Amino acid sequence: MTPLLSIEDLAIEYVTRRGVVRALDEASLLLTEPSVIGIVGESGSGKSTMGLAIGRLLPSFANRLHGDLKLEGNSVFDANDESIRGLRRKRLGFVFQDPMTALDPTMKVGRQLVYAGGDSFGQNEALDLLARVGLPDQARVASSYPHQLSGGMAQRVVIALAIVRKPALLIADEPTASLDASLRDHILDLLVSLRTAMNTGVILLSHELRVVLRHCERVAVMYAGRVVEDGKTSVVFANPGHPYTLALLAAAPGRERPGEMLQPIPGIPPVLSGRAEGCGFAPRCRFAGARCQVERPVARLVANRMVLCHHSERIIDDPQKKDHAR
Amino acid sequence: MSAQLIELVSASVTYHSGPMWARRTVEAVHKVSIEVQPGEIVGMVGESGSGKTTVGKLCLGVLQPTVGKVIFDGHSPIDRSSRRGQMAVVLQHPEWALNPRLKVEMSVAEPLSIQGGIASREKIRRIEEALTMVGLDAGFAQRYPHELSGGQRQRVAIARALITRPRFVVFDEAVSALDVSIQTQVLNLIKQLQTEGGFASLFISHDLAATRYVADRIVVMRAGEIVEQAPVRKFYDRPSHPYSQALFDTIA
Repeated sequence: MTPLLSIEDLAIEYVTRRGVVRALDEASLLLTEPSVIGIVGESGSGKSTMGLAIGRLLPSFANRLHGDLKLEGNSVFDANDESIRGLRRKRLGFVFQDPMTALDPTMKVGRQLVYAGGDSFGQNEALDLLARVGLPDQARVASSYPHQLSGGMAQRVVIALAIVRKPALLIADEPTASLDASLRDHILDLLVSLRTAMNTGVILLSHELRVVLRHCERVAVMYAGRVVEDGKTSVVFANPGHPYTLALLAAAPGRERPGEMLQPIPGIPPVLSGRAEGCGFAPRCRFAGARCQVERPVARLVANRMVLCHHSERIIDDPQKKDHAR
Repeated sequence: MSAQLIELVSASVTYHSGPMWARRTVEAVHKVSIEVQPGEIVGMVGESGSGKTTVGKLCLGVLQPTVGKVIFDGHSPIDRSSRRGQMAVVLQHPEWALNPRLKVEMSVAEPLSIQGGIASREKIRRIEEALTMVGLDAGFAQRYPHELSGGQRQRVAIARALITRPRFVVFDEAVSALDVSIQTQVLNLIKQLQTEGGFASLFISHDLAATRYVADRIVVMRAGEIVEQAPVRKFYDRPSHPYSQALFDTIA
């Protein structure tokens, strides 16, 4: 069976006026079948670049250096323009951070859905779909312009638009970042439910560990343009194998006891201009040794997860860590 | 004189919009009463539009309540010129809060210049002291904001807020735009500076987890009203109002 999505050693750089920035530094990810995977990373870790690359939506100043990205066995970089459009239209769905910029402000919601739905998709199907994404009073929503909807409702409409053609893969890039905390879980529950309801794979890009921990069965942690740890959420978060995952868990507020100090990660994330010689996290890592500076870690399978670190075994077995990660 | 440093006594704020023949009014804050004691960090959480920022503005005296009173250090209304240097604010986006054409030293020294009466030699010493306090090397004084990372810019904004040694600081979504790993650095910095400097503060955020970490007491706002006000311990255990519980559940 061809995997749903396979990304192999993908390296992408942006050429800007102030020089070259390497956004993806040989990132790899494999989705064999539809599942809900969360990609966690800070800004600049390359997660959005990866999300956009899946639909070949990268801006013109982005260069693919090497590596490949295949959707259902077909390389999106080798596809001609006509077939990439077909791919975007039928096999992929995108949900971005701000629903208001994703919707056409000049067209009523119902018409946008019918327009996106294709030939056999009419007004009745549009109403059904709006009901399916949990919108009440579908007739009113369908005859509204985007500005007449609240942020949460508009994001549901965006999700409806993304799934109108029953895509194979849905990419949601920080879908709740512009929404209030009380709405967040509802929207995420909806996204996750698509996996079983429509057999759609869902990639959730987020900077929030908590969100991924709650809603995703699998997690990929990105740092400095690479996927540094990848495995089942329960496995990875219970006992991280990469020092960055470990440090993130120890730094994020929410799980500390009252009065307890959180351990921040020292330093700042790097901005790569070329291929990293060693491990990108080494300067901020408390486990780093001489080897981390000069030798790029390769993907290894350690304790049921894929990890990019020379010292994973030590980190997984570290007794001191227990009270950091919890 | 009351024991409170700052006190809102059932303050309401009404905003007007639209042309005068079709006036629309919105009551952004309705009968809010808050007290902040010297040396206390009060956290304020709520979703967008709940009136958090309006309360912050009331406390700073940049906005007068439509009804009710704001008392700062026994005085009401707040006379900002005589309170110069006693209050400060740190905002969400340091890239907008810092003038991109000014060197860090100029930005940081601005509150001192406004306060006036400080010799330039003393000023330089105070800039250095403020930057060291927030964990930045004195060499940063010569840089421009675009040469700094997000976390460093927010540190500069904090240094500027604290240079006059204010008694009251408002942090309005001060860590929301920062990445997780940087956010904790800044939260720890706020906690540590508060312990050393003893200023009182209002920490406004939509993120209960971060607020709970820095605050002594938490105020939950919804639709312009306070729905719950309790010591921070309660927000580690189980808050009582249904809305606070919903917020609590999102981070549990």
